[in-house]
Amino acid sequence: MANDRGTFREIEHTADLGAEITAADLPALFASAGEALYALIADPATIENREAIMVSATGANPEDLLHTWLCELLALFNVEGFVGKRCEIAYISDGRVQGRVSGEKLDLKRHVFHTEIKGVTYHDFKVWQDAGTWHARVIFDV
Amino acid sequence: MATEDIKLNRLEDCLWEIPRQGGMRVPGRIYASEKLMAGLKGDNSLRQVMNVAHLPGIVGYSLAMPDIHWGYGFPIGGVAAISVDDGVISPGGVGYDINCGVRLVKTGLIFEQIKDKLTRIVEALFSLIPSGVGSEGTIPKLSKQDEKRLLREGARWAVTEGYGSHEDLSHMEEGGRLAAAEPELISDRALERGLKQVGTLGSGNHFLEIGRVEEIYLPQVADTFGLFPDQVVILIHTGSRGLGYQTCEDSLKVMNKAMSAYGISLPDRQLACTPIQSPEGQDYLAAMAAAANYAWANRQVIMSQAEKAFMKALGINPRELGFSLLYDVCHNIAKIEEHTVDGRKRSLCVHRKGATRAFAPGHPQIPADYQNVGQPVLIPGDMGRYSYLLVGTESAMEKTFGSTCHGAGRVMSRAQSKKQSHAINIDQEMARRGVVARYQGRGTMAEEMPHAYKDVAEVVETMDHGGISKRVARFRPVGVIKG
Repeated sequence: MANDRGTFREIEHTADLGAEITAADLPALFASAGEALYALIADPATIENREAIMVSATGANPEDLLHTWLCELLALFNVEGFVGKRCEIAYISDGRVQGRVSGEKLDLKRHVFHTEIKGVTYHDFKVWQDAGTWHARVIFDV
Repeated sequence: MATEDIKLNRLEDCLWEIPRQGGMRVPGRIYASEKLMAGLKGDNSLRQVMNVAHLPGIVGYSLAMPDIHWGYGFPIGGVAAISVDDGVISPGGVGYDINCGVRLVKTGLIFEQIKDKLTRIVEALFSLIPSGVGSEGTIPKLSKQDEKRLLREGARWAVTEGYGSHEDLSHMEEGGRLAAAEPELISDRALERGLKQVGTLGSGNHFLEIGRVEEIYLPQVADTFGLFPDQVVILIHTGSRGLGYQTCEDSLKVMNKAMSAYGISLPDRQLACTPIQSPEGQDYLAAMAAAANYAWANRQVIMSQAEKAFMKALGINPRELGFSLLYDVCHNIAKIEEHTVDGRKRSLCVHRKGATRAFAPGHPQIPADYQNVGQPVLIPGDMGRYSYLLVGTESAMEKTFGSTCHGAGRVMSRAQSKKQSHAINIDQEMARRGVVARYQGRGTMAEEMPHAYKDVAEVVETMDHGGISKRVARFRPVGVIKG
């Protein structure tokens, strides 16, 4: 699938951390959103592509789908300690997304750890399309 | 509606009201000095006070304490009392970190006795109390069977396992255990996350602080609590870790799906809720109680590890150290409580999202030895200036459903704080403030530097001035560990 890289930027929020993601298509939006999540947890420059995992999620619409996708990535970090460096979306359609995430397990001796993320909130959570470009806005509880 | 367009009526010096409008079922009421109120113009917290007022069954007011700041769903510092008979329960009104809270531990030492060994103590604490991020917990990984026992028993589980003493249990809200807990309602993923995080601090704004008693405002009350000038005390701020976060996430998903079946529509999906009496509501209350019990067990184990660290660093025995729990409070929780509203006793589900219970003297839920003075309220500061011990009042029972503030409250976004911290040497800055600090992630520390917070003195003075909770003592931080 097309996977032109999207972009993300950190947005201002008093108590928590947020990101706004922009991409040409949905696969790139999902990939960039995943990478934004990981970049808030640890400095991606210090993470190496040592292993790859397949991650899938389901949701009734693009908004729910992105939410469950991010929740899945966060859960894999929390249970397995896996931090992604690069996400690639293999499949996205009919309420299901599947992606390949390459990275490695967090190692506090080698990696620059930023912060633990408690949850992907629904507050102000949005996915929208504007003049052919996809956008998402997400606030994480830290 | 932009924040600056929200109409505010000033009712008292430190009390403001947002009149009922649109879908609001009750007015909003905010406790804040003029200075603190001015600081709210730049964020969405007042709008969040209005959103909470939409919750079905909310009684009296959608309340906010002076440490209010922009959260998700509820504002941080928000309180909502909701009718148990015909109202709702909202996991967003509790938050991801279920039963995040604070405990205050006394020692028999004065600062002079530890001054020269402070670095050694902080190192020992840092080594015995891990953040739990990317590492094992402080105690061996639990079996699922043990974990379920912990979820039923709370702090009592930790005491049975040899962490602390039975006397500690009487100095916690609910005795460190919510009896409604049902571990079978906790998902496998949440259980998995909880297996190796008992005795871990976490990151974000969680920390352990060594303080010295710097000022006593109410000597008689301080005496009842066993405090004296220059005494060394320890504040522990953490919660239910990944198990709690996952339980919140699981419940939000259920409630977001179920809400429409109950005809509930709200301005923010993070406020997702169902009737308290619904199967989803009852399940959340029981799962939340289990996660709350995890938090109490976690703080109990950390306290016991801190005792070991002090003994090791100072080469003294437990009797010489004199570690004992003054009190343990929750500040992210929903509790079923009896309150008098318009002269009538009502059973209410009080959501406190970044707010602390502050019950008055004589309340049956206060420990026997504190009955005459009221419930201790623990207010951690910004790790650089000061922390406070307050006490609950009758006024809190009448005006805020027995609630008060919970901390300093952020004034600066994490991104802004990080930018400001770029220019400073964090270790030197903490040392300049007289604090020995050890931390895991520079990023977290940069986001959590004292400059990111309101002056906690202004927050507690607002509540003292309004008669909601009275200042008992102020602590000066001298050592901090952070995840």
